Amino acid sequence: MSDHLSTQDNTERRSFLGVLSGLIAGGITAVLGINIGRFAVSPALSAAGVENWSDLGPVAEIPEGKPVKRNVVVSQEAGWGKFQAQRAVWVIRNGEKVTVFTAVCPHLGCTVNAKEDVFICACHDSKWDVAGNSQGGPTPRGLDSLEYKVEGDVLKVRYQDFKQGIPQKEVLS
Amino acid sequence: MTDKSKVDQLVDWVDERTGVKALMDEALNEPIRGGARWAYVFGSALLFLFVVQVVTGIVMTLYYVPTADHAHASVAYIQKAVPGGALLRGIHHYGSSAMVILAVAHLAQTFLYGAYKQKRELVWVIGVVMLLIVLGFGFTGYLLTWDQAAYFGTKVGTSIAGEIPGVGPIQQKIMLGGTELTTVTLSRFFTAHVFLLPLLLALLAGLHVSLFRKAGPAGPYHNRDDNKVDRFYPKQVFFDSVAMLVVFVTLVYLAMKMPAELGPVADPSSDYLARPPWYFMPLFQLLKWFPGPWSIVPTVVLPGVIFGALFLLPFLDRKAERNPFKRPIASLVLLLTLAGSIGLIFLARHQDRTNPEFAEKLKKQEEEMHAFFKAPFEPQVIGATTAMVGATGAGGSGAAPAAYMEHCADCHGANGQGEADLGPPLTGMSAKPRRTAEDLFKIMEDARAYDLKKPMPASFPDISEADKKAIVEWMLKLK
Repeated sequence: MSDHLSTQDNTERRSFLGVLSGLIAGGITAVLGINIGRFAVSPALSAAGVENWSDLGPVAEIPEGKPVKRNVVVSQEAGWGKFQAQRAVWVIRNGEKVTVFTAVCPHLGCTVNAKEDVFICACHDSKWDVAGNSQGGPTPRGLDSLEYKVEGDVLKVRYQDFKQGIPQKEVLS
Repeated sequence: MTDKSKVDQLVDWVDERTGVKALMDEALNEPIRGGARWAYVFGSALLFLFVVQVVTGIVMTLYYVPTADHAHASVAYIQKAVPGGALLRGIHHYGSSAMVILAVAHLAQTFLYGAYKQKRELVWVIGVVMLLIVLGFGFTGYLLTWDQAAYFGTKVGTSIAGEIPGVGPIQQKIMLGGTELTTVTLSRFFTAHVFLLPLLLALLAGLHVSLFRKAGPAGPYHNRDDNKVDRFYPKQVFFDSVAMLVVFVTLVYLAMKMPAELGPVADPSSDYLARPPWYFMPLFQLLKWFPGPWSIVPTVVLPGVIFGALFLLPFLDRKAERNPFKRPIASLVLLLTLAGSIGLIFLARHQDRTNPEFAEKLKKQEEEMHAFFKAPFEPQVIGATTAMVGATGAGGSGAAPAAYMEHCADCHGANGQGEADLGPPLTGMSAKPRRTAEDLFKIMEDARAYDLKKPMPASFPDISEADKKAIVEWMLKLK
């Protein structure tokens, strides 16, 4: 009888210490795990695109009627750094009317070039007319125009990236 | 109907395929002669701490960049900006000190209990190698923040390695990856710290534990509790868990109460007063007393004697006696070495505080560190090109000529900033040799004559003379 009791005591004691050890291990894992989760995930979720208005110089210096390639500098905040990245755009001026296209091909992201009055993407032979309308090749849509404004006499463009490979223009964020 | 619950059935299913029950049995039911003891917790606590260091270390590489120009910014980002970063880095920082403390405690306990005897020589020798690796972790990890303390501390450390007669100079070069402390050094230390040393320590720890398990725990040094035997589970597991909890709570407390330090970025031209981490302080203090050629006493002779003695200990001391009170000389030597080391640490600190010259400089350095530390995180600005000024026409050379855009811009960039792998930047041309207006003009006629290689075309027959002149003019204005 007493033997039986002491075995039971012993088993209870064993499981009690086992549970305590498990709680300690669980607690430590939880504290580390929660903080590792915050550390790894939260910067990815809170990363916000910066409003990026870039200068393209005086409107008057844009030649009339002919596509001109210009580089804009976009500022990317990524983790520990603020990166100045160059992006190419095409500017076309017709009198007062200005059109700015991103030089990123809506197909797979190569850089679009201009020949005479046509835009071409040499990677997969897509073509667009000077208004950016698709003129053949695998491109799913016309060239992506960018928002612009004129401050004083300086042309400014808001550079954005768009989703590739789909028929509609959709901002990448 | 069986009484077995679904859980038990699942466990049986897994066990039949893996033998997990026998494995757990082996791990948990190891007998401990003389019963579970608090004195035995150090090994488990070290293993736990190593896992914590590996986990916190791995997550920090999410943001850490091991190059001299970005390492400091990335550490500042981890410490100041990323949620949870200060805590994880703090645990890792204080964890390194805790590793040293616990390793020494583990060694001292094993030494005093005479637990290196009776076929446990290899367990002991591997343990001593692991202590050296722990110190190697401290040395290589110290540089990674690339702040003032890291840079100058490592500079002194590698110079000490270079003073060792014979192998010193070449050893120093191999450590540094050259003659100077550069980004290459940082890469080497990073590789050692996060790949080589952890792998080595993990392998040795596995060997250490399995050989220890083979020999069995030595148990107490007396025979009083000989009839008492505990299994590893649950009592010793519980003791070990409590030890881990104490270690972990201490690390979290320190990380939150006294965040891991980070000073201003390394400035090799400054007169920073280098001080090693506390566990290298005894060596630092001894160096003051052994100037010139005598410096090999603290740098080579003394560590050599201490570690040599540790390695040889189980082979020199063949007596069966384990009671530390009946091995007074051995016990005394250990205690004096430990007390001496601790004394030297305090003496070094005391001299730093009382020497007016040092005290003032160190205080200033500490203030600079705190000022940097308190300042909010500022992202490092990368690649602000002067070429962008050209793009806006403000103060630069204005927009590129049309001929340039047509023939040159694809490789050299619309603003002459260059494109990776395609064409070098054309900025600052006016300051370069063999790049006068005349030279540039000739380059467009015959690039090979100027040793310019493909993909640069040999000549540009499509560009008119006037356009070439316009391009040259524009190019020379690029800043």
